[in-house]
Amino acid sequence: MTEPILVARGLSKEYGRGAALVRAVDDVTLTVDRGESVAIVGPSGCGKSTLLYLLGGLERPTAGTLELAGRPIHDAPESSLARQRRHALGFVFQAFHLVDELTALENIELPALLAGASPRTARQRARDLLIQVDLEDRAGHLPSALSGGQRQRVAIARALANSPLLVLADEPTGNLDSAATTDVLRLFDQLRQGGQTLAIVTHDSRVAATADRLISMRDGAFVDETRLTGGSARTLTEITGLEG
Amino acid sequence: MGRALLIWRLVIGDIKRRPVQAALLLVMIVTTTTTLTLGLALRKVTDSPFARTRAATNGPDVVAQISPPGGSLTKARAQLAVLTRARGVSGVAGPYPFASVRLTAPRVNLSALAEGRDIAPAPIDRPALSSGGWIRPGGAVLESGFASALGLHAGDAIRLNGRRFGVVGIAASTAQCFYPVSKPGVIWLTRADAMRLATPQQPLGYVLDLKLLHPASAYDFEFGPVGTRFFADTGDAESPSVQTWLAIAHDDFRVITVDQKALLVGSSLLALLALASIAVVVGGRMAEQTRRVGLLKAVGATPLLVAVVLLAENLLLALAAAAVGIAAGRLLAPVLTNPGAGLLGSPPTPPLSAEAIAEVVAVAMVVAAAATIVPAIRGARTSTVGALNDPAHPPRRRPWLIALSSRLPVPLLFGLRVVARRPRRVALTAASLTVAVAMIVATLALQYRIDTNNQQHSGVFFGTGGVADRVSHLVFVLTAILVVLAGINAIFTAWVTVIDAQRPTALTRAIGATPGQVGAGLTAAQLLPGLLGACLGIPVGLGLYQLAGGHLGEASPPLWWLLAVVPGTLIVVAALTAFPARLGATRSPAEVLRSD
Repeated sequence: MTEPILVARGLSKEYGRGAALVRAVDDVTLTVDRGESVAIVGPSGCGKSTLLYLLGGLERPTAGTLELAGRPIHDAPESSLARQRRHALGFVFQAFHLVDELTALENIELPALLAGASPRTARQRARDLLIQVDLEDRAGHLPSALSGGQRQRVAIARALANSPLLVLADEPTGNLDSAATTDVLRLFDQLRQGGQTLAIVTHDSRVAATADRLISMRDGAFVDETRLTGGSARTLTEITGLEG
Repeated sequence: MGRALLIWRLVIGDIKRRPVQAALLLVMIVTTTTTLTLGLALRKVTDSPFARTRAATNGPDVVAQISPPGGSLTKARAQLAVLTRARGVSGVAGPYPFASVRLTAPRVNLSALAEGRDIAPAPIDRPALSSGGWIRPGGAVLESGFASALGLHAGDAIRLNGRRFGVVGIAASTAQCFYPVSKPGVIWLTRADAMRLATPQQPLGYVLDLKLLHPASAYDFEFGPVGTRFFADTGDAESPSVQTWLAIAHDDFRVITVDQKALLVGSSLLALLALASIAVVVGGRMAEQTRRVGLLKAVGATPLLVAVVLLAENLLLALAAAAVGIAAGRLLAPVLTNPGAGLLGSPPTPPLSAEAIAEVVAVAMVVAAAATIVPAIRGARTSTVGALNDPAHPPRRRPWLIALSSRLPVPLLFGLRVVARRPRRVALTAASLTVAVAMIVATLALQYRIDTNNQQHSGVFFGTGGVADRVSHLVFVLTAILVVLAGINAIFTAWVTVIDAQRPTALTRAIGATPGQVGAGLTAAQLLPGLLGACLGIPVGLGLYQLAGGHLGEASPPLWWLLAVVPGTLIVVAALTAFPARLGATRSPAEVLRSD
């Protein structure tokens, strides 16, 4: 029995008006089930990132409805959306978006502190996550002292800080070299196997190949959907073409 | 030529691209140049005006007064003879009759001294006309300070003890201090007109002007055998008095000194505050220029050209600000100089020499250049790739503040971390608010002392209502300028902070902070230096008051007045920074995060 975590119906996002009207997302309907890993692929500028921001409540849809864990959030007040982002969602960005002056450990504990966890609890949770992403020896390093792959692993750990229902990742390997991409892919695969629900926007076929379901997007609309069976750690080396 | 055109286009282009910031920088420098212009204007006014007036009027060295019973001229002459015949006296004028009168005019009703003079020029003390002509029957000439305080001009009509007179002229004299230092104010009439104003209750008195062979020894004349004999020969009922030009000069100078001291302290503080504010503004502008610097260098600009462009932009704004500041200073000068316009060289709008204008322009340019030079050189030295990749200087890390903030509610956690990012900006904001609060505290202390002295009718100096009003007025104007500048500074600092923190703000919102929490955090980031400024401003203000000649031991403002400054400052800072903070907090996080 599948349990939908995220349900989007007829989701659209328009910018501008008249002749300058741009339909970034056009009538998208999507359901993401608990424990499922969904990859949304498409060329640059097709509306993938905008869709992800809509799904995460960072932008408001022009039309359509959106439910997170059965609760409509498309027209929820900003404070309610913030609460959902705090407890039910985790974000991973292409540009990492770590706070420059905070160490890896401090970056990871930030969402827990915002959610009201005690400093001790937040610190312990951050340490556990650093171990999970294999960066316990980098706890006191500033982002500027970390490699791109390490920064993204810190960002993934931060996304997991409040045990979210759904992790949304926007081109998580877009700024990484091949070796770092493999590390991140392995991490996502671990998360998928651990039952973490994932929605990943990417134009990297290697990332897409690790998902349970692959959705193709063009000009703001879904054009194809494929259910994959091979996305797993077993085939990761083959997928990436690299030795892990 | 081509290079100059390129620099001009880049400068104008950037000003047009960020007009609000350019306008704010303009306001900061305008405030500085306005204050400087005021300072120079007042310096002109207070630059030996007594000496110039004394020379122009052939002012007396000694002025003696006497009020004989029944207003008898014969008796007065006899008693004044001890002075006129004394050794060392080189010239005599008078005695002139005077009467205490009631002066009435529209919205005016007060005591005055009507002094009878000859229509022909006197050998000593020929009041110098600043407008109109000399006395004639039915025509009165008013002392300049008196006329200025009452708002009377040549051509106006007045009544003295109910008799109608026309004001035919305004003139300055050094036979007495200018009004309001000397009260009541003096009105010159013909001898006949003055004598007609005497009443049985207020009989005529007589005033005598003397010139000495050795003016510097005037005090010896007053306190030596001559003065002693004069006072011994006259009774208390005849109200004898002798005043030397040295005493009159001292009293005039005392007022001017207070003006100068207040203006010196005020304008020094303003200059400091303006420099701090300009540093914040220019620093903020430069932080946003990093990418532009990278772009300029990428398309072939040399480091020198980059530095010149950055400097030229701020110097152009400084030049425009200097022009506006000079005009504003000239407009405001009468507000500060009019109340004591009792001496020559204090016209309603003091003249500004070419040197003074050059001085103001130079200061504006130097202030702008000083605030720009370091960021400009830094910008020029930045590597092209680094500048293109990095939008601003990396923020500072303060581990203890980060650890402390982890234990605080979300708005304070965010606010403290924003504060920790840019400690120099926080220090400048705190310094700016310290200066403003200090000036407010000093004003409160001064006002309290004036109120206390007025209630107790004590104190020679501050007990003179007109002088107290004048000092209070001057300090109030300076404080108002300081507070406005500090307010603008607070808004701009909040604005720069919001721009600088937009990425962490967007990120914090993306991971679950509400706009309310982020907005409160951004406001809290301004309240922390506000609290520091308010707490430091109280002792600094009291010290400033003491330094400027106040006496806290005599009359200290109540503690609650001073303590109320702290919440008052915080409320004002919160109100001023709420709008930029809200703008920063409600900006779409997706928009910011996507732009990186």
